[in-house]
Amino acid sequence: MIQQLSIFVQNEVGSVAKVTAILKSNNINLRAIASFDTPEFAILRIVVDQPERAKAVLTEGGFAVTVSEAIAVELEDKPGVLHDLLQVIADAGFGVNYIYSIVIRSGKVPLIILNTDNLEGSKSVLKEKGYSVAEQEDVVL
Amino acid sequence: MIWAKEETLTRQEMSDLQFNRLKETLNRIYEKVPAYREKMNQAGVACEDIKDLDDLAKLPFTMKQDLRDNYPFGLFTAPKKDLVRIHASSGTTGKPTVVGYTKNDMDLWTECVSRIACMGGASSDDVAQISFGYGMFTGALGLHYGLENIGASVVPASSGNTQKQIMYMEDFEATLLVATPSYALHIGEIAKEMGKKLNIKIGLFGGEGMTEPMREEMYKLFGREMKVTQNYGMSELIGPGVSGECLELCGMHINEDHFIPEIINPDTGEVLAAGEKGELVVTCITKEALPLIRYRTGDITRLFYEPCKCGRTTVRMENLSGRSDDMLIIRGVNVFPSQIEEVLLKIPQIGAHYEILVDRKNHMDTMEISVELADESLLDSYAKLGELEKKIKFDLRTVLGLDAMIKLVGPRSLKRFEGKARRVTDLRK
Repeated sequence: MIQQLSIFVQNEVGSVAKVTAILKSNNINLRAIASFDTPEFAILRIVVDQPERAKAVLTEGGFAVTVSEAIAVELEDKPGVLHDLLQVIADAGFGVNYIYSIVIRSGKVPLIILNTDNLEGSKSVLKEKGYSVAEQEDVVL
Repeated sequence: MIWAKEETLTRQEMSDLQFNRLKETLNRIYEKVPAYREKMNQAGVACEDIKDLDDLAKLPFTMKQDLRDNYPFGLFTAPKKDLVRIHASSGTTGKPTVVGYTKNDMDLWTECVSRIACMGGASSDDVAQISFGYGMFTGALGLHYGLENIGASVVPASSGNTQKQIMYMEDFEATLLVATPSYALHIGEIAKEMGKKLNIKIGLFGGEGMTEPMREEMYKLFGREMKVTQNYGMSELIGPGVSGECLELCGMHINEDHFIPEIINPDTGEVLAAGEKGELVVTCITKEALPLIRYRTGDITRLFYEPCKCGRTTVRMENLSGRSDDMLIIRGVNVFPSQIEEVLLKIPQIGAHYEILVDRKNHMDTMEISVELADESLLDSYAKLGELEKKIKFDLRTVLGLDAMIKLVGPRSLKRFEGKARRVTDLRK
């Protein structure tokens, strides 16, 4: 499992930039980011190298932040691999809440970040099927 | 037509009638309502000290708080078994303001509303659709009984489901509409969108003030020949039926054989001369169950005693120009910011600060309440945040009887105040 931060951002000009400004000034490295065009506010999800410290500085900066777990899975870069992975989860009867990804990992394959309605269950079925499920230290470098 | 002979008395006849009724009512209250008796004793005034109408100014005021302090029936002068109707209006502290009617009060109420309906041009030929919300609110049933009494055919449509309302109006050939001005405009607009030509010739509007631009909008939507009047009342006094505009549109005639109006300086309590602007204070002189002496309405207006071109001699009150406190009227419902605060403060997932934005869109009042998210664990999913919004809306609806839009904002993002908080922005003004 990896740690992700969920941050409440209002639909205003510069609101995401305020988050990144705080991360930058504290020298925290972003590994992944996901945000979608919702009408009034958004939950910005990020993966960083120092999640607890990022939470502390963002909270101090006036943001509502929570740290939670997500599954990160290594995927080869070829057609159909994401489908195969999602089929494993679907066959196990779990629902996917959202997906985003970490693309830049020096010399390593990308990671897909998943949230499902059963994190532990999803993780074990994926491991059973031979997927490489990453831990927090795998996203730091 | 003029419904009652009391609407055309000479000033002397009216004063004599008022004084006799005041004396009788005051004696009854002194005998039966300990809370008001105590007020009179503290003020050092006895029933015998009231020797003419000007002496009314010697009597202590009754405030909305007195009704709450004596919840539910403490200010009543009739035994509970004599009540035939009980209504309640929303209050700031969670306890509503309770009002009650004896059989005679119901007759008197019906009489007062009948006069107002006639003033606005209604007659037994009308099919009257009542689009006020029925329930504890006095507006709908008050107009309902008055209009039935003059022989109109009443359609108790209540509020909401606008397209069905329009279908009834069309199919029943409704000629008269009772609604808040904002809801009437909304109905008119939806009818226009649906391509329906309604036959509404009379509008009896109330529950909230109607500005002249709104009246002009009514003419545009319902036709220039429409008779557009507004009327005034409040549950504590009787409900609708205290006063109403005649077709001369020069203020609202007060049924002063039942309600004595005064205008006071809201800060000092001093009675102001006719024509001066101040807070309206009303004394009920005929009611059996709940006659209030010098009730502070909080409404700012002026009084005109000159006889009207319509033939009535009753005093007229100017259309309202504001309130002496912070009450909001939203879609005809009284809303106190403190009621909203009370609801919000009971929800731990949000912070203690809030902002209320009131506006008018498509002629309907809207209320948006911004609250700060305080529980980070809800950020797991949009669904959890959605649940929180739903809960806030539901709790507000339970207390206010009104839907509000909720805007969730980040912690510490709302304005903070060092002195008196100004949390309400009313863009309708």
